This record gives sequence, structure tokens and C-alpha cells, in this order.
Amino acid sequence: MILVVSTCRLPLSEEEFVRPVVEVLRGRGLRCEVRSYRERLDFGAYSKVVICGTALMDFDYLNYLDSFEALLDYDGGVLGICAGYQILALLFGERLEETLKIGVYRVRVVRPNPLTREGEFDAYFLHSYAVTEVSGRVEPLAVQGGEVCMFKVLGRELYATSFHPEVQNCDIIEKFALLE
Amino acid sequence: MRVCVLYSGGKDSNLALLKAWEALEVACLVTLTPRSEECYLFHYPNTHLVELQAEALGLPLISEPSPDDEEGCLRALRRALSRAVEEHGVGGVVTGAVRSVYQASRFQRVCWELGLWCFNPLWLRDELSLLREVVSLGFEVIFTRVAGYPLKKDLLGRRLDERVIEYLEGVRRYVSPSGEGGEYETLVLDMPLFRKRLRVIECEAVGEDYDATLIIRRAELVGK
Repeated sequence: MILVVSTCRLPLSEEEFVRPVVEVLRGRGLRCEVRSYRERLDFGAYSKVVICGTALMDFDYLNYLDSFEALLDYDGGVLGICAGYQILALLFGERLEETLKIGVYRVRVVRPNPLTREGEFDAYFLHSYAVTEVSGRVEPLAVQGGEVCMFKVLGRELYATSFHPEVQNCDIIEKFALLE
Repeated sequence: MRVCVLYSGGKDSNLALLKAWEALEVACLVTLTPRSEECYLFHYPNTHLVELQAEALGLPLISEPSPDDEEGCLRALRRALSRAVEEHGVGGVVTGAVRSVYQASRFQRVCWELGLWCFNPLWLRDELSLLREVVSLGFEVIFTRVAGYPLKKDLLGRRLDERVIEYLEGVRRYVSPSGEGGEYETLVLDMPLFRKRLRVIECEAVGEDYDATLIIRRAELVGK
């Protein structure tokens, strides 16, 4: 069972940022359960965790970083999308810089990884903060215009994308969900 | 949160309105009226009927004329949303965007510039399930424009129902089933939030197969 964490303060945003991710997972016949960032999250009860994005004006999830600290010791795989990327970046000591990016941009893969093909691809971005330089606990997997738009926590199956793979790169979510 | 709904009078903006109604406080509708069907961002035919729809909903309407070019559309959108903030105190905007990243990213950017939340409750919905939801919720929807092969002129004025959905499913290799690429446009005559329904009194289908418009000259509100 995969845990899908909503970071949306307002339920209407979940239609935009959570439902599409759930549909990708269920479309592959995978079971998942949605929980809000404001609930007590028992990560250990799930095989994997996907932390979804939220509206551009929504930063409430940053007040709940404590709820995600258990991920520091979590054994399963994690995929952080947009807000989820920011949560993972902050948990692992990275700094977020103000970087407004809205729309489709070309992404360059800088390190072979199990979630993307090598080379370049287009992705849909909707964020105002991202990591521009990594400090050592994470490795960049892909970059876009000065930002590290995809990273992996070193030695762990924790991945993060500042873009929204559910829009144009559903295969990233599928590959993550099917990782051994 | 008080929100406005970007409202064209078609099926998507009406379904987005219904979803917003259930979750937030809808303060007003915002309509952009393009000069022609060449407009990049907004739905064109019969936007004058939105006034009747707003009356049927009991909601104030902010209407702004829009040039057809992208920059002009965005300026008109900024003006209209600024009015929604000033006149109705809205903090967010609801749109009926389904799959167009072009449209969605431009709406998102304008909302961000104005400090508004942006909600797209139909985003990435399966297009056929969206059409079926519209029908199952009791929406009365007619086709008002066709703009692409193989959509023929005789689709104009027809109601969206299961037979038409099956037809659109069958031609999905040519047209987006929800018509979001502008392959067709619709008008909602009735939906659950309308206190009265629209009745078309006089209309004319102009154009040819694959490029035709239903011009509605007169319509009125009648009891449900």
C-alpha cells in the first residue's frame, strides 16, 4: 500500500494536485491511501510514500515539517513532488531559493537514475521556491535553468521533483511506484 | 475563502463552478468576451448569454472585452480579476482548465501576479468521465461551435448525451473528447445551481462542416 500525502490546505486544491497522482497509481493497479499533512502520519505502515504538491499560494505545509521527520528513518521509497520536494529538501538540510517557475520547461538529466531516461525531457513546473545548489546529503539527478529540479537523497530511495510529473511525465510516478 | 469563477457558460466552467460551490464561497463570475473565434485563451460563441446564466445563478457578473492576441487576453484577464478583488473581495480564482498547460500556466501566472489562489478542479480529469459526470449531474448542454474534422455542422444545437459521448469517444483520435483544444464549444442551458433554465428562442447555424457556429439571437429564462 502506497501512502499519498496531500499538502493542500484547501480540499478543492486536492482535485488538482492529489487526484491526478492517485489516478496514475490506481491506473497501474496499485493500492494507495490519501492522508493530509495535518494528520498523524504513520509512514511505517506503508511500502512507499508520495508527497504531492499544492497551490502556488499555499505554504501551510511548511508549518508541519515535524510531521515528516519520521521520514529521516523510513526504510521505504519516497517521492516528493513540488511541495513534497521542498519538504524533503528542508528535512535533509538543503536551502530553498525563491525561483518562480510556471509552465513547461526543458529538463536536463545529469545523472542516470531509475526514474527517468537519460538526456532531456519537457516537464510542467508550478513553484516559487527550489534548490539551486546541493550541500551534500542529496545528489542532483536533473536540472533546469539553474535549479536542481530533481534530486535523490544519497544512499536512500528518496526522490524529489520540483516539477509535476503527473502532468506530462506520469512514467516517473509509475517507475517510482514499481521500484523494487 | 471568497472566489470568482472564470466563466464562459460552457460545460467545463459550469462543472468547475459546481465544484467550487460545494467547497468555497463563490462571490461572482468573470467572463472575458473575445472579439472572434481566433482568441487564444477564451471561449468565443454566445458569450452574451452569460448574463442570462448569471441571472439564473443569482451571481454578479464581471465582464471584460478581450482582444484576440495573447498579451491583450492577459491584460483583459488582469483587469477583470482586479475588479473581482476590488468589488467582491475575492482571494481566489476557479477555472475549468482540463488539460491545456498553455491555458493553465497563463491563468496561474496572472493569479500569482495578483496574489490570488488559483483552483483548477477539473485538472487532468479523464475527458470522457468528465462528460459523463456532466450528463449524470443533470446538466443540459448544447453544442454551439464545431471547429475541426470530423465534427459536422449538424452537431450544433444537439444535446450532450450518452450517444454523443460515444460518438466523441469514437473520434478521439481526431478531437479531444472534452473539446479543450477548441474543437467544439458548448452552452449550458441548465444545471443544478440554476434557479431558472435558458430557453433558446431564435438561433441560426452558420458555416460548414468542421467549421460552424450556432448563433443564438434570442434566449430567455424560464421556470424549471
